[in-house]
Amino acid sequence: MASIPLADTEPRRRFRSDVLHDWVTTVDHKKLGILYIASGIVFFVIGGLEATAMRIQLAVPENDFVSPEVFNRLFTMHGTTMVFLVGMPIITGFGNYLIPLMIGARDMAFPRLNAWGFWMFLFGGLLLYFSYLGSTGLYGAGSAPDVGWFAYTPLAGKAFSRGNATDYWILGIVVSGFGSLSGAVNMIATALTMRCEGMSLGRMPLFVWMMVIVSFMILVALPPLTAAQVMLLFDRFLGAHFFDTQAGGDAVLWQHFFWFFGHPEVYILMIPGFAYASEIIPVFSRKVIFGYSVMVGATVAIGFVSLSVWAHHMFAVGMGRGLNIWFATATMIVGIPTGMKLFNWLATMYGGRIRFRVPMLFCTAFLAQFLVAGLTGIMLAAVPFDWQVTDSYFVVAHFHFVLIGGLVCTIFGAIYYWFPKMSGRMLDERLGRWHFWLFVIGFNVTFLTMHGQGLLGMPRRIYTYPADRGWEIWNLVTSLGVVLQIAGVLFFVYAVIKALRSGEPAGDDPWDAWTLEWSTSSPPPDYNFDEAPVVRSRRPLWDLKHPDDPDWKYE
Amino acid sequence: MTAPIDGQGNATAWSRGEVGTLLLILAETSFFAIFIVGYLFYIGKSLSGPYPADVLELPVVATICLLSSSVTVVVAVRALEADRRGAFLAGIFATVLLGGGFLAATALEWRKLIVDDGLMISTNLFGTTFYSLVGFHAAHVTVGLLLLALVGVLGVLGFVRKEHATRVDLLSWYWHFVDVVWIAVFTVVYVVGV
Amino acid sequence: MTEPHDDRGIELPSPTASPLYFALGLSLLLAGLVTHELVSMVGAAFFVLGAVGWWRQVLPQESEQWVPLQSEAERARPVSPRRAAVDHLTAGEDRHRMRLPVEVRPISAGLPGAAAGAVAMAVVACTYGLVVEGSLWLPINLLAGIVLPSVDQASPEQLRSFHGLAFGLACGAHVLLSVSVGLVYATTLPMLPSRPLLWGGIAAPLLWTGVAWSVMGLVNPALEQYVSWPWFVASQIAFGLAAGWAILRVAPVATSQSLSLAERAGIEAGR
Ligand SMILES: [Cu+2]
Repeated sequence: MASIPLADTEPRRRFRSDVLHDWVTTVDHKKLGILYIASGIVFFVIGGLEATAMRIQLAVPENDFVSPEVFNRLFTMHGTTMVFLVGMPIITGFGNYLIPLMIGARDMAFPRLNAWGFWMFLFGGLLLYFSYLGSTGLYGAGSAPDVGWFAYTPLAGKAFSRGNATDYWILGIVVSGFGSLSGAVNMIATALTMRCEGMSLGRMPLFVWMMVIVSFMILVALPPLTAAQVMLLFDRFLGAHFFDTQAGGDAVLWQHFFWFFGHPEVYILMIPGFAYASEIIPVFSRKVIFGYSVMVGATVAIGFVSLSVWAHHMFAVGMGRGLNIWFATATMIVGIPTGMKLFNWLATMYGGRIRFRVPMLFCTAFLAQFLVAGLTGIMLAAVPFDWQVTDSYFVVAHFHFVLIGGLVCTIFGAIYYWFPKMSGRMLDERLGRWHFWLFVIGFNVTFLTMHGQGLLGMPRRIYTYPADRGWEIWNLVTSLGVVLQIAGVLFFVYAVIKALRSGEPAGDDPWDAWTLEWSTSSPPPDYNFDEAPVVRSRRPLWDLKHPDDPDWKYE
Repeated sequence: MTAPIDGQGNATAWSRGEVGTLLLILAETSFFAIFIVGYLFYIGKSLSGPYPADVLELPVVATICLLSSSVTVVVAVRALEADRRGAFLAGIFATVLLGGGFLAATALEWRKLIVDDGLMISTNLFGTTFYSLVGFHAAHVTVGLLLLALVGVLGVLGFVRKEHATRVDLLSWYWHFVDVVWIAVFTVVYVVGV
Repeated sequence: MTEPHDDRGIELPSPTASPLYFALGLSLLLAGLVTHELVSMVGAAFFVLGAVGWWRQVLPQESEQWVPLQSEAERARPVSPRRAAVDHLTAGEDRHRMRLPVEVRPISAGLPGAAAGAVAMAVVACTYGLVVEGSLWLPINLLAGIVLPSVDQASPEQLRSFHGLAFGLACGAHVLLSVSVGLVYATTLPMLPSRPLLWGGIAAPLLWTGVAWSVMGLVNPALEQYVSWPWFVASQIAFGLAAGWAILRVAPVATSQSLSLAERAGIEAGR
């Protein structure tokens, strides 16, 4: 992205190989952040194409666009890609890019570890995708993993998943997991030890707070996944019996281990979305964030509670009444801090002079869509209801509302908001609006209707269905929405290319914002700040812009 | 103009090395917790022998070695901080020796279990959980030991000086963590599980 | 901080490929498990290369690179004060409606409210029993159906006669429900806009009658069978009006909302 420096500011021509060498050997948090985000977007396109293939297959009954085997690989790779190779790198990328800038530091606490983390993530992703060529599945030919993104045992065991496609799944995720772990260590250490003068914990931007909390969740929830995957690897390679039911092993134990990671993972992905919204909404409402400390407290509360709700993914397993009630209650309790946040964002907008630029549009859509996601979440937390719709498209619709309606929309908002800082160029507002409307309408066409199939009883992961179930029209509409979403994303890609080629220069502070990253040039120099900043309030730039009415008088 | 602005707005006294090490320990704790839960969950669920009560003996020597090595590593760090080179090297090598003693005792135990008792990782659930939990702990001891040995060798060559005391101190934190994990493993495997 | 000069620069960690080698080595090492041992060996080589390179980067001293400061023209402009005046939101203005409860009824006002409402409702319900159904006990037995499943199967004659257990349970349920609704009333009713009695006495009972109508079949099937909706609504409104009247009679207390921010925060500040 930043390899398009302006010709007139670049004193001497540089060779392509020089530029490449710079990027490959870099330990600069900004370059690494951009690398994370860019590779995440590439994987997003790949995962999106996989989803498109599935939606073509399901658009009409008895379709044979792809075979059942290919379909299994598609949904496995789609889920794995979107969670581990899209969500994780993009949130780590924004954290990497923004945390040092927001706290007035010159780099992350461990710059080389940072580079290592990025490469581990990338090689993990490449290893996973190499399975399409290198792995021998049941059918002899190369094939990708096909056991679902949560790889339930005993299906994922040696007896039922011959070949080594499942091993690719394990190794790819373990390797890329090291990237997330090192990123988490780095973000916490940076925020705790590298803050500039006056930047007390209570003055850190909410973005930094939330990324710190997310990082703690990564450190607590991700190693259990690695541990469980190592156990599965031992089962498959060394003949161990962790999840081998023939030898007394327990297949449900895998589910517990997986979801002990899997549920917090949802919040690990979603809280960064909250973080972007918490920066964007105040700036475009021209008001200070409502309830700063409550936001921090609510995030901490979500972090803790979300560690004790994992088995709501397992109500259909038959855990017994006591456990079901515990996990149902705990799940519903998460709704309280999450609801507090929604109200805080609304209260921030309330009475503000709202400017509906593209970042704000995406954040507004996020508020509405995330509310729907939260409400279906509460429905699913009710055990009897869950029993009715478990493993149906209702669940698929629910978590896509969380991850697309919530996370992807805030990520798009964040890209429109911070792209000018990263590249020095503005993204075109008109193209952005096309992107926004096509994508949001397409998303809702696809996933609002998907609740319908789910309630009508259509199960997940089926590769086709007969014509007499009353699902046809629902599936067709769902698939048609994909066209709109793709059109929206094409507008986005075009907007990025256009901005990089001939975008309007952004200047230091295009949004009239208040956090430190907007006080340096766009893109920032390698060392971030000419002089170390000194802050006196949560909105240092406000203080400078309004010397007669500064924030530190009130905080 | 100086190099990185290191924590000027920082009321906390933590250095980034300390924070990083503590976070590494947090992640490792979470990793071991799953293996410990797995071990506890499968106690008494093996369908066939050998069973823990028949083949396990309390690893007294190994435990004494490892626990006392936590003391010697502290001695080494203190000596380095006070710039007493002889005591520092003595402490480090005593730690390496004690850690090596622990690994040797573990190796002997595994030899007995494999050769005499016929317990492999694939034999039964006990073998599966035992070798993975104890094995992962031993692997961490090995890593710590290699790093300590490296510090020792560099110390003999005269490269380790007083200003490196903070880094050696961080290594000792990791070593204490490995020790604490052993206490948990010992309790779970040799006390609760038998 | 010293002023930056053009001939000066800043020291930053120097670029290095070692983390890349280290990561590549580790990945290939593991990839060997699913491909070929040779891959692992290549991985091991990269691993060592990366590890040694990394060590040399940080020991004995972290290696750093001298980055010259940008030229004056490229640097960020200093943030300058904005001329535009700042609008402060004040309570009650157009775009920012606020209703601050300067005075509220104490929560304990819910108790007399509950008592008044409970009596009013019981009077209406018993009137209905005596006048329409010819038995004082019928409404009481029906209310007990919330907790007593056997009421569903009772014959009309049984419903018209006195049952000790049903009477006790009905009284208990009546008191419990009245107290909870009374307490909610005490907190919300005086804050409702313009005419609290209209909202709390009539609108709210109508609303929850609607809710009761839709869930009655689940909660209390017996009552659903016999209920007369006009009388039901009348009893709810009686409750709402009586409770509201009793609550509004209690003297209000001032909240801290009437104090200034500084006073609320406990800061002794002059105005
Ligand atoms: Cu969940």
